[in-house]
Amino acid sequence: MTDDVEAAPSAPAAARHLAPGDVGLVAPRDFGHAAPFTFRGGQVLPGFSLRYETYGELNAARDNAIVICHALSGDHHCAGWHSPSDRKPGWWNNLIGPGKAVDTRRFFVVCANVLGGCQGSTGPSSPDAATGRPYGAAFPPVTIPDMVRAQRLLLDHLGVAVVHAVIGGSMGGMLALQFAIEYPRLVRRVLAMATTGRESAQAIAFNEVGRQAIMQDPAWNRGDYALGEGPRVGLAIARMMAHITYLSDASMDRKFGRRKRRAAETEASAFDVQFEVEGYLRHQGQSFINRFDANTYLYITRALDQFDLEEAAGSLEVAFAPVEAETLIVGFTSDWLFPPEQNRALALALLRAGKRASYAELATDLGHDSFLLESEELYALVRGFLDRPATPAP
Amino acid sequence: MEKRTVDMQIIGDWVEPGTRVLDLGCGPGDLLAYLMQTKGVAAVGVDLEFSRIAACVRRGVSAYQGDMTTLMRAFPERHFDRVICSRTVQELAEPKAVILEALRVGRALTVGFVNHGFWKNRVAMLLGGRKVRNEVYTTAWFESRPANPVTIADFEDFCAAHGIRVAHRVHLAGNWRDPCTLLPNLLAGYALYDLTRA
Repeated sequence: MTDDVEAAPSAPAAARHLAPGDVGLVAPRDFGHAAPFTFRGGQVLPGFSLRYETYGELNAARDNAIVICHALSGDHHCAGWHSPSDRKPGWWNNLIGPGKAVDTRRFFVVCANVLGGCQGSTGPSSPDAATGRPYGAAFPPVTIPDMVRAQRLLLDHLGVAVVHAVIGGSMGGMLALQFAIEYPRLVRRVLAMATTGRESAQAIAFNEVGRQAIMQDPAWNRGDYALGEGPRVGLAIARMMAHITYLSDASMDRKFGRRKRRAAETEASAFDVQFEVEGYLRHQGQSFINRFDANTYLYITRALDQFDLEEAAGSLEVAFAPVEAETLIVGFTSDWLFPPEQNRALALALLRAGKRASYAELATDLGHDSFLLESEELYALVRGFLDRPATPAP
Repeated sequence: MEKRTVDMQIIGDWVEPGTRVLDLGCGPGDLLAYLMQTKGVAAVGVDLEFSRIAACVRRGVSAYQGDMTTLMRAFPERHFDRVICSRTVQELAEPKAVILEALRVGRALTVGFVNHGFWKNRVAMLLGGRKVRNEVYTTAWFESRPANPVTIADFEDFCAAHGIRVAHRVHLAGNWRDPCTLLPNLLAGYALYDLTRA
């Protein structure tokens, strides 16, 4: 997902975290799981930790938790501000907060960086206790179900008895669906947006180009590099390319068109930045390498590619058979990475399996990242889905 | 509103408790919410508009935004105990395809429609020479969706020609409340059919 779908807040920088409807200053915490954790592939880690944030309070019945699942390049910081001088709030700040669609006055919101991630949770950049060096390519192949099982342990640690809803877009939507399949008694509602039950060849192809950019960078060194080093060029190129797949022709045209940088800013070579869109992508690539680990990029894109609900169960209906949650799938017309068709297929399979499921489609031109959209229509849909008291399955 | 209530009751009478019901053109989910409440059905609606799906979601009615025929094609035969097509049939692009598909995915099909053959419509057309406008036909020709006004006689012919069995039929007078048994194509304002495959 991109970093900049949200419009810049208009309040003065120093006071933005105090805005009404904002969760304000937040701090991440770490959950350490000290027991061995076995991955789907059979490999075992002696333990792991997840970095997470929570907003709102867990109620006495311990049934008001909402789990937010982030996308490939996202993290646990989905709302509020880490410091008053932050340039931007958490990535879903427009959706989450007191009085917002995900109302933190009512719900206890939990968001964790996924297992295999690089924003504080255990992943390939974490030190391997056996060697003292980062795991690198020795990290166990991580899957979406592994990420979900790790987050379940966090929820147990937090004392959550019932999850009111799991919400996610893109990869987060995969996690949300997996939550409902894996833990049917735990999860009351699933809201999955701009997602898929399995990636198309095109989506796998884009991930593969990203991986090749990383692995062909000599600094990748088969995954063996020191913290803060590694295939920075390859990772930046992977990000630039992936970033295009999160947008749309129309939204890029509106944002950049063919606008050019002023001559004074362009340099001598014919291949320096000339168009605004080039400068934008280079900036995206550069800022990404300062916050993201290349090995995590390889591991998580692989987890995305391998996620296949249909293959795992024989059919989508069989995959969804255990689900007890009410499900809402939301597709976006301009999303060409996980297009409406793939989102519809999820809702139809849930309905065929006799589940309570709805499908809504928003007409937007922002591409895959539309799920981060500031849209009153989307907020009203989400609010309506979350507000009603849970009804038992018929 | 009152007219709506009467046909909801009749439609409800034909629904077995606890069954699976699909509503084609479900709108904000009024009928399905009513059937969930009174009959405990497992309800699914389909509609084209985002705002109507959002209204369904808000009241706990499962709803799918999209084309009804595409939706039905995604289901196996007889997946639903009953499909309902209430006041939608005259606005469909391909009514025949929808009705036959509904009889494939549903064990039974309820169709409810305004009888265009009702005498007031005939008189209005004959004397006025214009598109009928009244409390049922509220829009001018240029502001309404394409419509195939259908009469009871047309519909009966259609069922006979396509081997569709009429299990029940209810014709309501112009007030949409009292039963109409005499010359329904002329005197009935509203018609409800309970159909199955022959």
